[in-house]
Amino acid sequence: MDIHPSYSALASVVERYPAHGGALFQTYNDLKLAQQWRDVEVKDLGQVCKRGGIQGRRPKTAADADSLLHVVPCALAESISMVWLKDVFEALGNPSSIYLAVVSDDSSIVYYKLSSGIVKPSI
Amino acid sequence: MSSNRFRGGPNKGGPRRQENNRIYRYPLPLIFSDSPPSRVRSILGLLGLSLNQVLNPNCEGYYDVSTRSVWIVTQRDSEILWRRGFFGKGNLSRSEPSWFVRQMKDRKSKGSMTSEEVREKRRADRKQFKLDRAAAIAKVAAEAETIFETEGRVVVPALFGPEIPSGATWKPSTVEPEADAGLEQEQSGDAKDTETKEEPEEEPLEDMEHLQLTLQEAFFLAWNLDCLSILDPDTDEPLSLSEIWMTFQQVYLAPPIPNSPPPELQFDNPFLVHYAAYHHYRSLGWVVKSGLKFCVDYLLYKRGPVFTHAEFAIVVCPVYEDPQDQEISTTQLQNSSPFTWSWLGTINRANSQVMKTLILAYVTIPARSRVSRSVLNSPACFAHYSVREVIVRRFIPARMRD
Repeated sequence: MDIHPSYSALASVVERYPAHGGALFQTYNDLKLAQQWRDVEVKDLGQVCKRGGIQGRRPKTAADADSLLHVVPCALAESISMVWLKDVFEALGNPSSIYLAVVSDDSSIVYYKLSSGIVKPSI
Repeated sequence: MSSNRFRGGPNKGGPRRQENNRIYRYPLPLIFSDSPPSRVRSILGLLGLSLNQVLNPNCEGYYDVSTRSVWIVTQRDSEILWRRGFFGKGNLSRSEPSWFVRQMKDRKSKGSMTSEEVREKRRADRKQFKLDRAAAIAKVAAEAETIFETEGRVVVPALFGPEIPSGATWKPSTVEPEADAGLEQEQSGDAKDTETKEEPEEEPLEDMEHLQLTLQEAFFLAWNLDCLSILDPDTDEPLSLSEIWMTFQQVYLAPPIPNSPPPELQFDNPFLVHYAAYHHYRSLGWVVKSGLKFCVDYLLYKRGPVFTHAEFAIVVCPVYEDPQDQEISTTQLQNSSPFTWSWLGTINRANSQVMKTLILAYVTIPARSRVSRSVLNSPACFAHYSVREVIVRRFIPARMRD
């Protein structure tokens, strides 16, 4: 993973939290290269969450192209609790919604949109 | 009178199927060479000997610790492993590594579509269909309203009928290309300037994608078929089979503390449990892929993702032969404790929606009291694991009478 060109952007966060480096790396590559997101940045979510997060914007042709979206990667084997989610929301500055990226060993990623509070269904 | 087989162009129906049958004709990376029949071969055949040679592609991959996978970085090996058995997944693509092709196409915007582009177009068309249908229904309802107001007659607004598009009658409209063509004509005077500006901005594109194999797939290829050698990423040296065996197990055990002996091998190592299931279904001839998108562990394809949708969704449920082993175990195996009815109902519903049958694959973990842990030093330990399947189907007493 270290010799991959994307690694330099992630190096500091991965070295601090090596256990979650793989999930972060795969999500970063998927967003930047495959989904073609713009302004992709890696953020350190602090000592409480002990992992990195990613923020960015969708490509220009997408529906909500200008809003800043937050993505938190996690591995399939992890178990997630409400406390975990609360810490992540706080570390990102309490956005209205975040995307949870669940990463599998074969590089499949599924994204789940989690909103804080109730969301009315769109018509 | 044109033949119906070739209706739709070279990428649909008959020609596509023939092309797929040609490209994906080998079910495994090893090929048996055919030599023409001769007298020597028939005599040897009577004796039970054969002159057939096994052609081994000898692929190479790098083991990556952080992502717990083996990366195939060369184009040749990626193509061989994908086309002969559908092993692995392109890490920037939906299935086959197609990122480079998609990027080149973005720059030229012409030609046939990759599977991701087909998926996007299908979703966009379906969204448009739903909008058109909703608009037609609203229009019929508004007409019923005006009839009631003007004539006093009650007309029940229909939800289907000749005026409302259905899946069979709706066709995507081709409005957008005409709008683009109109814009292009207006800007044709500026076109030359923008073209010369674009060329120096395009750098040569490097392929950033690799084929990613799970540890189970990589071990299956290396141990059973001997067609993959796994290289250490730091030294570029191939790992021996026993090194691969030990490394793949230890990556799931407690993180290594420097200067202390490696942790003891366990029977309930997730690598072993999942490999037992993977090997079981692969050796029966199924193509086994990840089931993350359907909340299950594995999907079984009869011939491959290219041919039909997966028919079965497998959830691996590890069972300890000795319950005491589970109490003292430090590994948290998923689905090893009794599951809730709501979990089973959710997964079954999600999979019936997509016409897949749910199978619970119970993998028995041998008891430490009966089998010594020294067997874990070699893959022979798999003789002690067994896999049993239970098929789950929802039963509705009122509707299912036979």
